[in-house]
Amino acid sequence: MTEVSLRALQKLYGKTLALKGISLDVAHGEFVSLLGPSGCGKSTTLKCIAGFEEVSDGRICFDNKDISRKLPEDRDIGMVFQSYALFPHMTVAQNLAFGLEMRRLSKSVIAERVAKAMEMVQLTPYADRFPKALSGGQQQRVALARALVIEPAILLLDEPLANLDAKLRNEMRGFIRDLQKRVGITTIYVTHDQDEAMTMSDRVVVMFDGEIAQAATPEEVYDRPASERVARFVGNANILELPVMAVRDRAAGGFDLTLPGGTPLHLAAPAPWANGALRVMARPEQISLTDPGFGQLGGRVAKRYFSGGHVEYTIDTDCGPLLVLGPTTQAVHEGDAVGLTFDASRLWPMAPESGAKP
Amino acid sequence: MQIATPVLALFRVCIYAFLLAPIVVVVLASFNAGNFLTFPPQGLSLRWFWTFLQNDVFLDAIAYSAILAAASTAVSLVIGTMAALYFVRHAGREAETVRVGVLLPLILPEILTAIALLFFFYEIGIGTEHKIALFTGHVLMTLPFVFLNVTTSLQGRDDSVELAARTLGASRYTAFRRITLPLIAPGLATGAVFAFIISFDTFGVSFILKGTGSAPLPIQLYDYLRFNFTPEAAAVSTVSILLTLVLVTAADLLFGRKA
Repeated sequence: MTEVSLRALQKLYGKTLALKGISLDVAHGEFVSLLGPSGCGKSTTLKCIAGFEEVSDGRICFDNKDISRKLPEDRDIGMVFQSYALFPHMTVAQNLAFGLEMRRLSKSVIAERVAKAMEMVQLTPYADRFPKALSGGQQQRVALARALVIEPAILLLDEPLANLDAKLRNEMRGFIRDLQKRVGITTIYVTHDQDEAMTMSDRVVVMFDGEIAQAATPEEVYDRPASERVARFVGNANILELPVMAVRDRAAGGFDLTLPGGTPLHLAAPAPWANGALRVMARPEQISLTDPGFGQLGGRVAKRYFSGGHVEYTIDTDCGPLLVLGPTTQAVHEGDAVGLTFDASRLWPMAPESGAKP
Repeated sequence: MQIATPVLALFRVCIYAFLLAPIVVVVLASFNAGNFLTFPPQGLSLRWFWTFLQNDVFLDAIAYSAILAAASTAVSLVIGTMAALYFVRHAGREAETVRVGVLLPLILPEILTAIALLFFFYEIGIGTEHKIALFTGHVLMTLPFVFLNVTTSLQGRDDSVELAARTLGASRYTAFRRITLPLIAPGLATGAVFAFIISFDTFGVSFILKGTGSAPLPIQLYDYLRFNFTPEAAAVSTVSILLTLVLVTAADLLFGRKA
């Protein structure tokens, strides 16, 4: 069953096309993130779904009903804003009650549901406080409870963690994710933070320039990005351009590539467009360091950054500088010669960017 | 550059003296026991207040000014708030046009606004009949003050609160009434007080557009002073100053801390 369905959504601001035909289906109870840099259209998409922006072309359906022309108040959505948008002149309890009052529920029902919602976000002791007397994290939870207490069909979140500090942000990620699964509500989450999108979502929709670049599970987006741009946006990526020595099976996968120095490297992934040379992606943690003279490629440590759980190296090689993630137990220093080994099973070929030769 | 504290203090005293001295002189002169408007007063008495309270011309003028001020404030509140909402929520040339248009009466000399209105109303055949021109002039004079105060109280606000109310099921109107209106109430109150006082005090517009019949207080005072020079005029002024003070203080007590 499809809960939210976007059909060829277009949004025109003056003469610029902010959304160039967005089509997306979000299943019932699914948590989908719209991920992309600022100006990619993710927020515009959310505003169109919420009804704050009128779509220029295309349709938005909830449960197969076209709601593209409905007013925001008639769409049955709950929304959490980046600024939280709590009503500053109302207490926490009054904030939560507002949406229920608009639904003309009886006082006793409202009190009961507000109490339950406050319990859900662990804010019961703060019922009579005003928003400005709460911490950022608490305000965030009020905003969530206010959006959920009306039991909407869809939950929309617009960069809700952007204003929190790093530690709290990590806590809230888990909190929102758990709450969403518990309530089972279809959720669309907008963020520019790839970690946030990866850890929380069932599916990540990467957007660039008003278009969807890839819509897939976090694992797939990370391991098998649709383009070099996606690869670089969702994490660090080493791109190596290597000549193809032999093609075993284009579609099913199987290429023999050569690294500088002549060492063969087998690529197991399909690359129907492979022609003479292939650009392949290796994530930093898919390359490991060995003693010089060993491994598939030689190099020298240019930079070494210790970051607690692991060490980040920049290694100068004949393929250019490569980013490598290593364990802290390895005694490798700047200036050392090292050998590199690739995890060939996870190498992924990059499709040629549009405009490049096939 | 650091200015020595005593010099700064002296400067401050001078400024306050410059601002407040005329008011103090008028108030003191109103308690004059003598027959002429002089300073320092010749003996203390409340006789000119008594004379004023028995003078229907001034009482009528005060009532007339109060009604005119209340009516123009009410109209300014509606138009000024609408203009402020438009200005804050839109960008670009249109919003800037609205802003300049609303503020023009504040920027232009009052007398120009008045003369322009006089020409306009004679051109469309109404002239100064039925107080329409006078009322229009007062609305134009008070509009900038409502607009500026409401704009200020809107500008620090988070735009998305009204959108949040919409997602919770409130119509555009309900969201405005339940969310935006309470938030801009301090700005509305301050704007209303300013508008009322400006309308109550303004001279140029009233002088040129008043037409025949009863006149606002400043005009009545001016007419009186042309032929009489008694402390009654000072007594009227003192009462008018007192009214203003009461209004400002009330607004400050009610909304000052929130604004």
